[in-house]
Amino acid sequence: MKNRLRVLRAERNWSQADLAVRLEVSRQSVNAIETGKFDPSLPLAFKLAHLFETSIESIFTDEN
Amino acid sequence: MGCQTNNPAVRRFTLRFVVAMLLYALFSPLATWGLFRWHLPAVIVWLPALLPALPIIGAVFVTGRYMAEEKDEFQRAVLVQSLLGGIGAILAVITVWGFLENYAHFRHLDILMIWPLYLVFVGISYGLVKARYR
Repeated sequence: MKNRLRVLRAERNWSQADLAVRLEVSRQSVNAIETGKFDPSLPLAFKLAHLFETSIESIFTDEN
Repeated sequence: MGCQTNNPAVRRFTLRFVVAMLLYALFSPLATWGLFRWHLPAVIVWLPALLPALPIIGAVFVTGRYMAEEKDEFQRAVLVQSLLGGIGAILAVITVWGFLENYAHFRHLDILMIWPLYLVFVGISYGLVKARYR
């Protein structure tokens, strides 16, 4: 799944580690999600949406 | 899993797993020594014989506990994939070896080798899974 996490992070000047702390996950998790190698669960996707004050659909886009 | 030393779930898992393996290293020679020395009657000989199996069962339980305690879903997914890889590999190896024993007169594979081989396969699988997400 494609996502805009890198852009959203850059807008806030957050590193992957900063985002990981806010999400209470590992930096490797953030990296795997950001590079599209791991799709987060719905609760984690909601957590991301709340954190970036936007909707899930504006962060993640279905490639199909 | 290995990179996250400040993760309390990983710390607990590592400690519990090391304790289980230390108990195995202690119980295994103890059982061998006891069985040879005491010449126990056949009715109760299974008691010391089972002693080294307990920490191994404990290690499996410890792994299950870790999965329940780990809050990071990505780390959980990495471990699940690694365990599946390890289980698949050990099942494939013992199945192939079993047929080779039966039909090609290969040496008998001691069933006690399954646990250490499983750990090796899980380790290899963990490395491969981590490399895929890098």
